[in-house]
Amino acid sequence: MNNTTLPILARLSSLQADIRVLPGGARVIAEAHDRNPVARLLRAANETMLARSLEFVSSAGPALTLDVAGRRLLRLTASHGLAGAESCLGSEVLEDEQKDDLIKLLQALAVPGKELRVISGPIGRGGAEVSVGLPVALLADLLLIDLNDVGAEEPEHEAGDVASPAPDRAAIRFSGRSIADFATGIGPVLVAWLSRGGQDDGRSEGPEEMVSHLRDFLDDEHAAVIGQLDLMSAQEGDPVCLMLGVTLIDGHSLVCARLHGTVLLGVIEGGGSQAALSAWRGLMA
Amino acid sequence: MGVAESLGSMVKAFPQARLVAFADLSSRMILASAGPMSVTQEHLDRLCNAARTSFDDPLFSLSVGAFGEPHCAVVMGPDSVRLFLRSDTEPADALCCICDPGIDLAAFVPKIRETLESITHGG
Repeated sequence: MNNTTLPILARLSSLQADIRVLPGGARVIAEAHDRNPVARLLRAANETMLARSLEFVSSAGPALTLDVAGRRLLRLTASHGLAGAESCLGSEVLEDEQKDDLIKLLQALAVPGKELRVISGPIGRGGAEVSVGLPVALLADLLLIDLNDVGAEEPEHEAGDVASPAPDRAAIRFSGRSIADFATGIGPVLVAWLSRGGQDDGRSEGPEEMVSHLRDFLDDEHAAVIGQLDLMSAQEGDPVCLMLGVTLIDGHSLVCARLHGTVLLGVIEGGGSQAALSAWRGLMA
Repeated sequence: MGVAESLGSMVKAFPQARLVAFADLSSRMILASAGPMSVTQEHLDRLCNAARTSFDDPLFSLSVGAFGEPHCAVVMGPDSVRLFLRSDTEPADALCCICDPGIDLAAFVPKIRETLESITHGG
């Protein structure tokens, strides 16, 4: 395990741990027996990548609410039952000189022997664009807290590959089939298509208005389409098919497939994505 | 229901979903995952990159111009079916799934849409 993967593993470990959710959406982040609830609080903040408002509530009564984004504490927006919150509450963005006051507040809130809960909600004041505030890691350093506490467990290693077959295996599997076979297999829900390159270069079906639109697009963007397909393939030139739509299960969707050097670009209607899935599966049979 | 629990319930309901992962596309990170498939961090990184690529140009722009902004993508390769779903309200939030080719899209997509929006709005 190296320093680069440590934060990611810590985050995965934390997110996959058992959690207790209370009525109202509160999540318990520290139990009464936890020895360092401040560490739990900081880890919860550190795991919040997207802009959120986090309300931390102690079972002893005090609570404070922080706007958090990208592992930074942007601002303190509310405090209940905690003395000395005024300086932080008055700031639009938390500054370095406020870190000591904030740490005191966190320590007063997250005391051992009390349960600590967090409620996450939309951020209050458009903080998603704010890139300043106090880094959670800075506060953790000052409190000697390890944010990446992953314990002794090592991650389970793979049993199989996700999507990177050996290229020769893929070629063998698809041998004898063409992109036109794929189009035929999809059936009438493939309302328009054309192919470019390879043995099926220049084939098309469907209303001319739609086909010509697809043709114009490929005339301009053929190389970029190949590049996009390569980025989704384990190896350049591998067979791959992308379907892209608002929902894929209704309305119209795009289908773009590559097989043996031929690119097919087409339009699928309605729930035709299932037919395309079956047709692609058929190529592998 | 927490993130891990939500993802786990999808895997239980759809055994053909071998991996369901919640990703922040803006930071290129898979934040949580569930499923019987054992994957390394490198696989998760690749899955997240494939999701970003799916919703990228030039095909993204073609889809926007023709049918509206796409929120769902399926990438099929020689061995796998990867399904990516972006949140309607938080475009950086996405679910990335690896499925068996026999997955029933008409049943699966609405359920993962629900799950994604629940995670996005529940924080």
